[in-house]
Amino acid sequence: MPQAPVSDSIIEFIKVTKIYSPDVVALNDISFNIRQGEMVFLTGMSGAGKTTLLKLICSLERPSKGLIEIMGEDINKMKSRDLQKLRQQTGVAYQDFKLLPKHTVYQNIAMPMEVTYMQPKQIKERIAFLLEAMDLTRKKEIQTDRLSRGEQQRVAIARAAANAPPLLLADEPTGNLDPTNTELVVNLFTALNQAGTTMIIATHDRSIYKETDHKIIDIDQGEITIHNNQAS
Amino acid sequence: MTPRYILIQTGRNLKQTWGTQIMTLITVSLSVFMFSFFFLVYTNMLNTGERLGDHIRLIVYMENEVPPEMEEQLATKIRQFSAVEKIVFKSRQDAFSDLSEQLNDDRDVLFDLGSDFLPPSIEVYPKRDLKSLTHIKLFSDFLANLPGAVKVQYGRDWIERFGSFTQLIQLIVLCSGILLILTATFMVASTIRLTVVSRQNELEILRLLGATKAYFQTPLILEGVIQGITGSIIGLTCLFSLYAWIKIKFAGPSFLEIFTLTFLPGSVTFSILFVSVSLCTLGSYISIRKFLKI
Ligand SMILES: Nc1ncnc2c1ncn2[C@@H]1O[C@H](COP(=O)(O)OP(=O)(O)OP(=O)(O)O)[C@@H](O)[C@H]1O
Ligand SMILES: [Mg+2]
Repeated sequence: MPQAPVSDSIIEFIKVTKIYSPDVVALNDISFNIRQGEMVFLTGMSGAGKTTLLKLICSLERPSKGLIEIMGEDINKMKSRDLQKLRQQTGVAYQDFKLLPKHTVYQNIAMPMEVTYMQPKQIKERIAFLLEAMDLTRKKEIQTDRLSRGEQQRVAIARAAANAPPLLLADEPTGNLDPTNTELVVNLFTALNQAGTTMIIATHDRSIYKETDHKIIDIDQGEITIHNNQAS
Repeated sequence: MTPRYILIQTGRNLKQTWGTQIMTLITVSLSVFMFSFFFLVYTNMLNTGERLGDHIRLIVYMENEVPPEMEEQLATKIRQFSAVEKIVFKSRQDAFSDLSEQLNDDRDVLFDLGSDFLPPSIEVYPKRDLKSLTHIKLFSDFLANLPGAVKVQYGRDWIERFGSFTQLIQLIVLCSGILLILTATFMVASTIRLTVVSRQNELEILRLLGATKAYFQTPLILEGVIQGITGSIIGLTCLFSLYAWIKIKFAGPSFLEIFTLTFLPGSVTFSILFVSVSLCTLGSYISIRKFLKI
């Protein structure tokens, strides 16, 4: 087994371009890396390419050009088994949630844990914790198509966090939330990050990153600018 | 992998498409029932045929006695045409002593006639199997054309009819076997397809969550296996009930003496079960290969 790369970067983008057919250049020749345990905010105007970047990381989209390495592996050369493993280790809260409408809140959150064959007892405990953290305990047995947008959003976040994954991607996680619920989400993210999860959060919401010293990747017309708030 | 998940998932699938599941189950059971029914009839006819075979022999009456040195040659020729149990050459003298033995106390009537009025003959005992039963007519024609043969005599024509009836049953067994293959494979394949289609949305999300091939497939395969097991058990149970009912209903001594009814041997029953389950599994596998894109 090769040793972990010295840079300890968990995500590496090298000259990545994403062009949607026919000619929408969503990302243009961008390079950056994200180290293990970092919390990174992805900002930019609507249509800037934030979702596209996250989709590239979880290989929902393929880059048109360039190299993407996740945990030291070229995502383009991954075998399906490795890709499955990667997806199991990457929690994603999608901008459009991607919940199962006819399944309950509980069933939706349980899915990633069932996929990794977690013990039922542990699943139950984990869900109880997440529901509490997202203030959804009373909605446990409700079908997700009966929930408000904000509630659905929190279910999506709970599902993304379910496996306490090493990597968590959140696309506009507070877009539909009031300040109280936003705080719940931020608290959960902070706790996960402190426990070692690498976080990438795409957001318009200045309130959740302006006070922090985390790295910010700003996308503008397919180009990125990295602001490193950290003192170092 | 936890069996629990597989069971839960399989349960969900069955629940989601229960109407079609039941239709499939009925079809599979019916096919198994039909096939095993005809197979049962067939094996019983074979048994009966074998018992009948004990009484079957062809007697070839000869113009002249076959000289001992020719016997071997003739026997070889007969064997070349068809497998036989045994061949017995009877001289005029043998025929006479047989007859007088049969007549027993009345044998005096024969004395005036002399010992050589009966023709010499060859007794041919065909192999006791279905083939010789169905070929008996052909065989007798062949024997009649042997050099020196005058006439061939064998059991009544019901033997022929029995033979062709058995052949018919054989054909029906074959057809119902093909039907079983088709229904088990295609019905199961189409229900699995329905399951896959009805859960497309869910499968899509599971894919995003990194579900493995096994996670998707195992419950679907199990669905096929369950259809196979339940279907063939129901089919075979129905057959056994029918068998038991007939056995009680026609328990008269006369009937059972000629025609002893027996159920399919355990090995055959098990084989039918095994084959049906395999076919259903194959059906679900085909469907998975075709419709489940991972
Ligand atoms: N499947 C697609 N086909 C064609 N163009 C696309 C597709 N997906 C996104 N785009 C385009 O790519 C650009 C970047 O889209 P993206 O969804 O990444 O933006 P975003 O930063 O997430 O915006 P928002 O903040 O509104 O969610 C947009 O111009 C969008 O129209
Ligand atoms: Mg977006």
